[in-house]
Amino acid sequence: MSTIDRWFVRLTRSLARRSSRRSVLAQLAGVLVGSAALPLLPVARAFGASPVPGEPHPSTPSGDPGSCDYWRHCAIDGFLCACCGGSQNTCPPGTEMSSITWIGTCKNPADGKEYVISYNDCCGQSVCGRCNCTRTEGEKPVYITPKNNDALWCFGTKSRAVQCSVAVVLGVATESS
Amino acid sequence: MTRAALAAALLAAAPAERAHTPEIDYALHCQGCHLADGRATPGSVPALAGTVARLARTPGGREYMGRVPGVAQAPLADAELALLLTWVVKRFGGPDDFAPYTPDEVGRLRAQPLVDVAAARRALLENDVR
Repeated sequence: MSTIDRWFVRLTRSLARRSSRRSVLAQLAGVLVGSAALPLLPVARAFGASPVPGEPHPSTPSGDPGSCDYWRHCAIDGFLCACCGGSQNTCPPGTEMSSITWIGTCKNPADGKEYVISYNDCCGQSVCGRCNCTRTEGEKPVYITPKNNDALWCFGTKSRAVQCSVAVVLGVATESS
Repeated sequence: MTRAALAAALLAAAPAERAHTPEIDYALHCQGCHLADGRATPGSVPALAGTVARLARTPGGREYMGRVPGVAQAPLADAELALLLTWVVKRFGGPDDFAPYTPDEVGRLRAQPLVDVAAARRALLENDVR
């Protein structure tokens, strides 16, 4: 037996004398679970997320996309897609986002900036019925149609049935200098 | 302080609606229907892409663009609207020597909004032989 083999045998026997099988398994399990949970920590997620063009920086507190009070819903009228199988940016599966939309601004209290928000309807299925919101910041009366959110905005889509609405951030509402 | 003076002071202190860049005004007042790239939505909205450039070179086209309902009724001051219209003409391929709209000109044009927009557009573009 070589010197290295004898040294390794001595090391493993002494390790076996000092530690029980259970404690080794417990420590190994701790390391495995711990490393799996590490990416779920909020700090890790904030650093890991990459900025989306136009959207507030991922580290900015954002709020609850399923709430009418969510900052970017300041002029939304309809059912929130975040409660209907989609998100604040995406339509639920099986629906089509109307490209024609109404557009306004909302202030994000987390960074104090005004953002341009596009309220697109998701069309092609019957109404969702969950998280119905009616907020009216900057909305104009119905006779100024492009600035009114009571209207159904499923234009240019295969179906005019509306299921829910999203609030897509287009960018910061830059002011002229 | 009298009531009138107080009201005047409050009015003076009230923040005026802040002006945006023409690009943001396009997003806020045009893009909802005309889309970011100005393409048509068949059956709903006519194209800006391709059409604005032709109108900008057609006699009467300049006036037409100041009188269409979306322009005439935009909740913008004449000066902002003049900047926005000029930006739209450049953005959608208008001629390099296109003279910028002035606030006075826009004020005059928007005071006479078009009633039959489709007919006016058809007449202008049919006369355009280029």
